[in-house]
Amino acid sequence: MSALFPVTVVGSWPRPKWLLDALRKKREGKISEEEFQAIADEAVLIAIKYQEDAGVDIISDGEQRRDNFYSFVADKIEGIELKTVAEFMDFAEDKSAFEALLRKLDVPAFAIRSPIVTNYIHKRIPLALNEAKFLKEHTNKKIKVALPGPYLLTRSSWIKGISDKYYKKKEDLAEEFSKILREEIILLRDAGVDFVQLDEPVLMEVLYGPELSVQTFMCAALTAKENPRDELSFAVDILNKTVQGITGVKLGVHICRGNWSKSEEAQLKGDYYPLLPFLLDMKVNQYVLEFATKRAGSIDVFKDYPTEKELGLGVVNPKTDEIERPEDIISLVKKALNYFRPEQIYLNPDCGFGTFAESPVNTPKISFLKLKSISKAASVLRKEYS
Amino acid sequence: MATVVNGIKLEDFNALHEELKRNAEFVSKIHKWNARIRWAGSGFNFTSYVRNHKFTISEPSDIGGADSGPSAHELILTALGACYSTGFIYNATKRNIQIKNFEVAIEGEIDDILVFFGLSDKGHPGYKKIVVKAYVEADADEKTIKEIWEAAVKGSPVGNTLQRGVEIVPQVSLVRK
Amino acid sequence: MGKVINGLDIESLSSLLDEARKNKELVQKISKWYARVRWAGTGFTFNSYVRNHSFTISEPSELGGPDKGPNAVEYVISALGACYLTGFILNATKRGVNIKNLEIALEGEIDNILVFLGISNEGHPGYRKVIAKAYVEADCDEKTLKEIWEETVRTSPVGNTLARNVEIVPQLSLIK
Ligand SMILES: [Zn+2]
Repeated sequence: MSALFPVTVVGSWPRPKWLLDALRKKREGKISEEEFQAIADEAVLIAIKYQEDAGVDIISDGEQRRDNFYSFVADKIEGIELKTVAEFMDFAEDKSAFEALLRKLDVPAFAIRSPIVTNYIHKRIPLALNEAKFLKEHTNKKIKVALPGPYLLTRSSWIKGISDKYYKKKEDLAEEFSKILREEIILLRDAGVDFVQLDEPVLMEVLYGPELSVQTFMCAALTAKENPRDELSFAVDILNKTVQGITGVKLGVHICRGNWSKSEEAQLKGDYYPLLPFLLDMKVNQYVLEFATKRAGSIDVFKDYPTEKELGLGVVNPKTDEIERPEDIISLVKKALNYFRPEQIYLNPDCGFGTFAESPVNTPKISFLKLKSISKAASVLRKEYS
Repeated sequence: MATVVNGIKLEDFNALHEELKRNAEFVSKIHKWNARIRWAGSGFNFTSYVRNHKFTISEPSDIGGADSGPSAHELILTALGACYSTGFIYNATKRNIQIKNFEVAIEGEIDDILVFFGLSDKGHPGYKKIVVKAYVEADADEKTIKEIWEAAVKGSPVGNTLQRGVEIVPQVSLVRK
Repeated sequence: MGKVINGLDIESLSSLLDEARKNKELVQKISKWYARVRWAGTGFTFNSYVRNHSFTISEPSELGGPDKGPNAVEYVISALGACYLTGFILNATKRGVNIKNLEIALEGEIDNILVFLGISNEGHPGYRKVIAKAYVEADCDEKTLKEIWEETVRTSPVGNTLARNVEIVPQLSLIK
């Protein structure tokens, strides 16, 4: 059996400036896809090196090729276009939610893009297979690939007045995304990926967004009037349909409270308690959750919901500048051990370090030191619990 | 073919400019602007008529309105933002600068809203401060864009109205049919 | 539902006033207002977004616009008129006065529009004077009417904004 308390990441790594320049040039058509990928290869190698040096056991490619964790699919799936908020503002059912968000981010509507379904969708090229192959070729570590979850994709890209011409209800679109993602997970498994993580951050927004009036573009596209219970059940159903019966690869779901700015106040707040009954219905192996930030509440929420699933325990906050000490990480793990056995626990940061290409939440240096702190804690814990 | 900048034919633009320099009658005509607002007959709902245009003004539901349109104090912010925008496009076109995107976000802060409700007489119920944030995308250097923006701000009819203390003449008459 | 005057439920109106008296958070919320205006991409046409409302601002054809909506200076006097009417309905309802008809005609006079056009430096391009003429049909005496009107004018947010010097903070950012 492999070592206890494997150290892993949630996905993204801060991108170098020259990569951001290349990303912009690609978008403007000034460099070709091939030229961009060659530049991104270099960035991925750097991200790999950082993670290996920090002692991470299951590494990612830092999502260096993506503009963010979900809108990159617009390049891969036909029928989805990256549209600026300015282009679809008139169709948004809850314009005031967009306004609040633009104001918070201090950006104009024309500078923010979101993937919108503007036709029938079908996969043009695999979503993340090339990322996985390159990563696999350049490391001996186990590898993890994150994909946007089916609920996130549906919720962010279906807009009434634009998308309903092709998919009358968002449920119809969800079926299509589910098929595409399922196919992709199988491709990734066959390419030797050890861990596939589905990102579903909007689930927290469904629970806490409307009441705190904090929303993201991923949620504002739809009216906030949906009943949270119905939405969560729908999210669970569509996720289960996506992963049903797939074996031979570890499947995780990552749920956090936002990672689009360094400001803690700008993110959602509230514990996982109301989500747990739904979470435990998800047919995945691991829940990748935040527990380093105070906004996530206590891990004692598991008291009422014991589970045999694995926990990807968030032990460092990617948004803060101070480096968590191994002692702090160890004491957080010990709290988790009240509800989980040692072999159920993986250690990771709360979220990625560069979820959105243009606004990473930390520098490579601090991100590296945080990962290093996790692996130090892991080696102490391994001695104690093996 | 005529040169078009920012969707405006330069030929027409220049002709209008010349006309304004010479035609005093035309200029005095565009000094006066009118509007008429009617109460819709129930609650805080009003219809405004401006030349051939018609629109609804209301109050948000948390102030007891039907929220069938923006409110009066939101329209003031809009008017200021639109005026700066108009001035920006005007001054950019004058300098032959093509604008790709232009957007303003406006935020106004009332001094003491309770005065409006008759619950306070400490401050005043008007705006004390309005922040207007412009975002521009254009193939021009920062200096030129700044120049255009400054000309727009300086020459803004609505901006000047708000900053100078206008004389308002309120009149009321009871009409019996 | 309680007694209704001018289409407003008296009970909910007075509980709103009570709430405004006590609830600091509500007061803070209704002291800040926002709008966003976007250039439509061609000529003098702009779209404004205010909460869940959107509308068009344009210029008359004689000023080189497509006349798709009122222009900014027309919105200013509309806002003043609507603000007076809002206050009038509030203050009449507070006194239990039923209004049958209410209408206001506004006329604004620009000091020197040539400053906007960059053709002149004399004077300023803003309104110098705005006349707001209200017409009321209601079952009440002149004295009460005058009282309602005076309170309305005195407590008008837009009226006070226009009659005083507002601090305007213009900020610019170039997006690449
Ligand atoms: Zn996350």
